[in-house]
Amino acid sequence: MTEEPFDLRLRLLDRQVVDRDGGLVCKVDDVEFDRGPDGTWHVVALLSGPQALGPRLPGRLGRWVMAVGRRLSLHPDAAPRRIPFERVTDIGSAVSVDRTRDQLGVAALEDWVREHVIDPIPGSRHESE
Amino acid sequence: MKRVLSVFLGILTAIGGFVDIGDLVANALVGSRFGLSLAWATLIGVVGICVFAEMSGRVAAVTGRGTFDLIRERLGPRVGLLNLTASLLVTLLTFTAEVGGVALALELATSVNYLLFVPVVGLAVWLVIWRVKFSTLEDVFGLLGLALIVFGVALWQLNPSWGDLLHQIAVPQKPADEDVATYFYYAIALFGAAMTPYEVFFFSSGGVEEHWRTKDIGTARANVFIGFPLGGLLSLAIAGCAAVVLLPDGIQVDTLGQVGLPVAVALGKLALAVAILGFVAATFGAAIETGLSTGYATAQYFGWQWGKYVRPRQAARFHTVVLLAVIAAVAGVLTTADPIKVTEYSIVFSAVALPLTYFPILVVANDPVYMGRHVNGKLANGLGSVFLVVIGIAAVAAIPLMLITAAGQ
Repeated sequence: MTEEPFDLRLRLLDRQVVDRDGGLVCKVDDVEFDRGPDGTWHVVALLSGPQALGPRLPGRLGRWVMAVGRRLSLHPDAAPRRIPFERVTDIGSAVSVDRTRDQLGVAALEDWVREHVIDPIPGSRHESE
Repeated sequence: MKRVLSVFLGILTAIGGFVDIGDLVANALVGSRFGLSLAWATLIGVVGICVFAEMSGRVAAVTGRGTFDLIRERLGPRVGLLNLTASLLVTLLTFTAEVGGVALALELATSVNYLLFVPVVGLAVWLVIWRVKFSTLEDVFGLLGLALIVFGVALWQLNPSWGDLLHQIAVPQKPADEDVATYFYYAIALFGAAMTPYEVFFFSSGGVEEHWRTKDIGTARANVFIGFPLGGLLSLAIAGCAAVVLLPDGIQVDTLGQVGLPVAVALGKLALAVAILGFVAATFGAAIETGLSTGYATAQYFGWQWGKYVRPRQAARFHTVVLLAVIAAVAGVLTTADPIKVTEYSIVFSAVALPLTYFPILVVANDPVYMGRHVNGKLANGLGSVFLVVIGIAAVAAIPLMLITAAGQ
């Protein structure tokens, strides 16, 4: 994109992902690369969730995070949640994407906790007063 | 008017963070044992928290990112997770102590055993976090916490030899019957209490809750430079009262009642009632801050939606963490562990966790790509660097001193 060197580790990794309504989506836990026809490597997706974060944590702790993630996962494949890089509109103090959190569907735990823990409590749908 | 109100955010964090249960007791305890000869530790702590709270507030206003967001981003997932674990333990310990403190203050007012109040206090704290708007919360507790000014009035009414008190502050001298290790142990306790990490988590996240923008940097600064020194002044007044009333009689503070005793001596029953109201407000406010901070820190590390500016169901994981923290705190107090001891430990452990919290703030506040023209100036950098050294020394010394002195015995 830019000619100047762009430090992925400093400027992209571990940044907050923000959706088009300003909602907080996830962290950039890892990134996916692909090799173009001309032999250069490109970032093709942002990865998040335990399957992306786990490998970046040391040894047993990392494996444990991935195992817990697999156990909690509703998806049979238990792959990292993926946000295609085309969705990214801006990289600043946060990474902005052009979809909503629900459209991206990257937060299965959020959905589960919402349905089973928070929604049953009275007042969960109301603004604070 | 809105500007004036928003300064209450600073006062709330200051009263709640500076004068919470542990500080009430630590300051009174130190006052009754060391006079004002340790006031320097509180004063250094006030300057330190001002320096770093200003930076974290400025970063929050410019970028909309809370402090733990930055910790993860700059320290990476490994050290960030270590930091999260340590911060959560310290914050939970403090949360437990605050819930116990509210219950102890209610016991003072009613003579009903504090343990009976604990579940009710826990429920009340959770309900406020669940339902009450952020701005209401800060106005109410900021205002009620000001009742602690009664300690200042009491000190004035006691009419001590001001020259002597100022001399104790200006030329600190360790009392002859205390040993050096104990003296410095309490210095670190006061310093750790002044700079507790949850204060910056809460302050920066509160700024995001309030939708601070670059134009609100002035408000953030006013909060910091009015609120925190005011909290420090109240701390000194509490220590001063104890130094004047309790020290000469050799009374050592180990209950909340003894903290309020000088107020009763100086001004009578009604003033004591005001002081107890102040205790309840300060500890309840701090309980809410610490409870929210557990959620802020966790959600910001993992990138979850957090905050009271959205409906609870839109921040489901955040509210689940807070709910679990409330349950843990209530259970913690119900073990009948002395809440005052719990806080004393929590402030010393905070001293250990301080460098990991404050270092990333300094780094990010220096990043021109991030901060644009609001990047740190020379003064902020100079003070920030000096304080990192001080914080480092305190962190290294805290645990050995705790072991040598048997936690200040």
